[in-house]
Amino acid sequence: MKKFLRTGNPYIWLTACALTISMLMVGGLVALITMKGLGIFWPHTIVKFTLQDGTVVLGEIEKEEPIPQKKGMYRTKLKVGNRDVYGMDFRWIDNTDIISREYPLYALTFERREWGNMYGFLKGLKQDGDIQPLNLKELAPLREESKALLKRIRYIERKVIGKINYQMEKYRLALKHLMTQQYSVKAQEDIEEVKAKVENLEKTYREKEDMLAGLYAQAKEKEIIVLLADGKEKNIPVFNIIRVYAPNEMGVFAKIGFYLMKLWEFVSTEPREANTEGGIFPAIFGTVMMVFIMSIAVVPFGVLTAVYLREYADDNIVARLIRISVSNLAGVPSIVFGVFGLGFFIYFVGGNIDKVFFSESLPAPTFGTGGILWASLTLALLTVPVVVVATEEGLSAVPKSVREGSYALGATKFETLWKVVIPQATPGILTGTILAMARAAGEVAPLMLTGVVKLAPSLPVDQYFPYIHFERKFMHLGFHIYDVGFQSPNVEAAIPMVYTTTLVLLFIVLVLNLTAIVMRNKLRKRYRTTAL
Amino acid sequence: MKKRRLIDKAARWLITLGGAATIFAVLALFVFLFIEVYPLLRGAKVLKEKTFSLNGKIISLGVDEYQEIAYTVSHDGTIEFISLSDGSIVNTYLIAGLKNSTITSVDKDENRLVLGTNDGRILKVLITFSESFDNEKKVIIPEVSEKEPVQIDDQKRTLRNITSRSDDSATVTVVSTEDGRLLLKSTEDVSTLFDGEKKEIKRDITDLVKRYQPNGLHEPHNSILYSSGLGNGTDITSLALDHFMENLYVGTSSGEIFHINISDKENPSLQEKVRVSDKAVTTLGFLFGDISLVVGDYRGGVNIWMQVRDETSPSGWMLKKIHTLKSHNAPVIAFAPSLRDKGFVTSAANGTIYLNHATSEQNVLIFKVPATPAALTFSPKADGILAASSNNNLFQWIISNPHPEITLKTLFGKVWYEGYEKPEFVWQSTGGTDDFEPKLSLVPLIFGTIKGTVYSMIIAVPIGIFAALYTSQFLHKSLKIIKPVIELMAALPSVILGFLAGLWLAPLIERVFPAIVIMPLFIILSIALALYLWRCLPSWIKGKYRYGAEALFLIPFIIGAIYVSIQLNGVSESVLFGGDYRQWLLHILGLNYDQRNALIVGFAMGFAVIPLIFTISEDAMSNVPNNLTSASLALGATTWHTAVRVVLPTASPGIFSAVMIGFGRAVGETMIVLMATGNTPIMGWNLFNGFRALAANIAVEMPEAPVGGTLYRVLFLAALLLFVTTFIVNTFAETVRQKMKRRYSKL
Repeated sequence: MKKFLRTGNPYIWLTACALTISMLMVGGLVALITMKGLGIFWPHTIVKFTLQDGTVVLGEIEKEEPIPQKKGMYRTKLKVGNRDVYGMDFRWIDNTDIISREYPLYALTFERREWGNMYGFLKGLKQDGDIQPLNLKELAPLREESKALLKRIRYIERKVIGKINYQMEKYRLALKHLMTQQYSVKAQEDIEEVKAKVENLEKTYREKEDMLAGLYAQAKEKEIIVLLADGKEKNIPVFNIIRVYAPNEMGVFAKIGFYLMKLWEFVSTEPREANTEGGIFPAIFGTVMMVFIMSIAVVPFGVLTAVYLREYADDNIVARLIRISVSNLAGVPSIVFGVFGLGFFIYFVGGNIDKVFFSESLPAPTFGTGGILWASLTLALLTVPVVVVATEEGLSAVPKSVREGSYALGATKFETLWKVVIPQATPGILTGTILAMARAAGEVAPLMLTGVVKLAPSLPVDQYFPYIHFERKFMHLGFHIYDVGFQSPNVEAAIPMVYTTTLVLLFIVLVLNLTAIVMRNKLRKRYRTTAL
Repeated sequence: MKKRRLIDKAARWLITLGGAATIFAVLALFVFLFIEVYPLLRGAKVLKEKTFSLNGKIISLGVDEYQEIAYTVSHDGTIEFISLSDGSIVNTYLIAGLKNSTITSVDKDENRLVLGTNDGRILKVLITFSESFDNEKKVIIPEVSEKEPVQIDDQKRTLRNITSRSDDSATVTVVSTEDGRLLLKSTEDVSTLFDGEKKEIKRDITDLVKRYQPNGLHEPHNSILYSSGLGNGTDITSLALDHFMENLYVGTSSGEIFHINISDKENPSLQEKVRVSDKAVTTLGFLFGDISLVVGDYRGGVNIWMQVRDETSPSGWMLKKIHTLKSHNAPVIAFAPSLRDKGFVTSAANGTIYLNHATSEQNVLIFKVPATPAALTFSPKADGILAASSNNNLFQWIISNPHPEITLKTLFGKVWYEGYEKPEFVWQSTGGTDDFEPKLSLVPLIFGTIKGTVYSMIIAVPIGIFAALYTSQFLHKSLKIIKPVIELMAALPSVILGFLAGLWLAPLIERVFPAIVIMPLFIILSIALALYLWRCLPSWIKGKYRYGAEALFLIPFIIGAIYVSIQLNGVSESVLFGGDYRQWLLHILGLNYDQRNALIVGFAMGFAVIPLIFTISEDAMSNVPNNLTSASLALGATTWHTAVRVVLPTASPGIFSAVMIGFGRAVGETMIVLMATGNTPIMGWNLFNGFRALAANIAVEMPEAPVGGTLYRVLFLAALLLFVTTFIVNTFAETVRQKMKRRYSKL
């Protein structure tokens, strides 16, 4: 045994264990997120429990687990929904209390615009005080109707009223500007003119508002009556229903179709109910846009530094200082960049931009508050080292002979660089860019100080001049995870959504990283052959 | 040709500039952070100093919010409003209710003056300033309203001292008379639904003070200023009543303070008597918030006393001295609190006026006037001080005093805050009320940062280095693909790790904590089992499985070990922890278990740091020149011996820098700490408590901090601390690495 220990084999196994644990951690994490994230859109069957005390509950089984401190007993977490009736989405039930469990075929899941899901049976339709029986098929045309109505409402709210607001703001600023000018007849006329326009707009605004009120009233006219598990009846306006389905009736293919539809809804629509339901489209959009703005800023900066270090600098003090700076930019905590971004970009640069260009709208800040541009620039500073390192690697992979060939033909240093070296090093630069994007997509702490919000009223891109609004606040996947998972009022109901959001972010980051790794390997291989 | 050379040159310049920009970026980072922190270190400044002459001796003074108009109250009841721009008298008001008596004592509470007269009456005067706009120019208009005088002393003696507080429904006034009586008067609206009824109480409470006379200790004192005799030669020299109308403090010429509890107005009782000085107490007053009592004495000492919880005293409370400020070295005669923070001004008979701050025990500014400054006031916005001297001069100082509460001591030392039992390190930047005392000690945050870092390094360092050693020395070549997989781990956004740690791992570990305790044992057992099985395997299988695949071979065993220990959770809980681990921890070790605790952070942050340490030390180890390892192997050393005795020492600078860089990452990690701990700024090494780290604290508080305020700058200081720490660590690590690279290239 002693001899065996002396060979060192057991220790080798011990070190191998460290690697195994690391691998298991990565694998486990990815598997966990994938499992939890992908599961939530699958339509769950609705179960009906009759309990010992005679109550009947209806809902989706969330999980079953042993009761702590009680041997061999299990309890079930049931999502009973109907938050407006029961106050809570979830209910713990001891399994010993359950007398019978059934899966009623006609039990329906109602996804609603407010108050989360409702589980129950469709009883009838209430229209103008009359109650008529109704089945699921007959509900479909009514739903189409309300969808059309919703589309109209949204159009008026977003497009028409949005436009009015936009113009009002423009006139308000113009008016403010005119007021500050020297008194003259012309200016007075202009003021009158603008005031007349504003009045006109206000009139249209009121008209549209009345119209909206009418539409909303119309939306409330038709209500369906839902029979709940405990025999209560509840009315829901058809307009408030997003989707109705009978999961217990669905076959596998129907479920797959449903699943894909929900997945699409998730990535393409806006969040509802304080971000706990609906989609995450604005967050995806915000993340992507921020990452692109950041790349535009970081790539030239990083490439210049790398080119200087590889091609121009000797081993002098400046080069060494630059190396130390680069490694420090990589090592300084991201929150420090956030603080810097807040103090420098927002309050200093942004504040001064406001003073010079947007003085009409002061004291309301335009650039002097967090926005997508400042967030992107802050992250650009943070990701410089990533680009520098990758570009350097790309540059160093270009064989010396290629350069010498170029010099021999009479090219200057810059021409060699521009026409020969950089094109060959492009994969390295691209790798750096992609890695920087991956890093920026996942970074949250600096954004919390520089312009991310839990719910942005409008995207940074829209149909109004100048189309891209760099000063606007934006949503971000990473912050969305933090916010919904830790700040939302109903964390328990929101957790599945957080897992899915996490999965989306993880997917983006992993795809970017894998692309970079594959590219880097290709680059290495290419030069291994050319160098020979 | 010339153009080409020009372009070449321009490009060289541009690229050099681009390279140097990185240095600028780091420098800018440092400089900018420092610029924002710097005002904290700078003291207060006097922006403007003005002197005006007055018409007569005054007894009290005040000023409006914008420091445009000051008012003075003289003994004969004249209130004069003086424009502070040119010294002219804007308005004069004669207090009508005074008739022929003179004012002998004043209590000023913001803009409400309560005057005591020489014929035993009290009189309330309210002075307000209203703004109006005349041609876009702001005009301040002073207004005076007075109430009917009330006879408080039926013997119509002169009132030496007065203190009065009131709110919407009640008023309490306490006076001391020239013949040493202490009188209390309280009115309260006891309104029923239909009729308002006033309940009035009048009490002579002299006995409470008289009964406790020291035995014949006669202190020499200024008999002109304080002459109300109590008998035994001790006089009442000052009074202070808090706005809760519950605690009355009476200062005497023998240097004692009587604390009289008047929460029951019918039966006031003496709660405590403390000796605060060996000379007379000359001024008493409350700091903003009416909790800290400022005591000025005849020697010039300025101290702050507060009721502190104390088990040994019968009432459970005891007056204790919590702050000592710079002495005037002459009798203190006037006091004025700031209405913004815990700052205050005191003046003394020798003409010195001090601006102090209680929390920081800082003497912020010193002024000197040629004559005794008898009346003082602090402007409502705490940006100016006014003093009236005995030679009929009015002095005004406009000051800039943005961060009086910050000194190195308040940032890094123990401070005795209001409401605390002893000096402590506390971080609590905001409170519910205006009179909240900000507690900005960075120590709990630094402690939290270190705690999180230490626990995560304990997990990350061994795993990272061992995994790197294995990967570089023993892993089969065909399996090198594992390396990028671990590197991918570094790319995982910390928000994901934090989310999983906070919402998945924390509840999980809370449930299976006993299993976590026995898990290392089972993992080692499973390795032993794997090793045994490996040796028992017939050689043809071994041949297929090659050396260097141990890590893969181990996967099922480790999963098994984890599974088994979780299955044994209940068993281990009853065997090791007597059935309930929380109770066990609490009773046996005295540790409290929070769901989100340092252990969770250790795991999650360890996860983030492992790949960093792994990658850098793996690089260092696999770059150890081949001839060294070959020589070792040729001399008959086993691969393990070669790895430990040759590779590890040679690569140790690289490993060291890997650990340093990992450390830097852990120190600054924000999201994981934010999400996986409760963020409570408590101190203590308990593994099962949460903590608050510098970085997470910035993320939490920065969005709410007003720009340019003290909190804002302190948070910048926290960022600067993080920056400097990581800068030193990184620069050091980078230098070590560069040196090692150069050494290798020589080998």
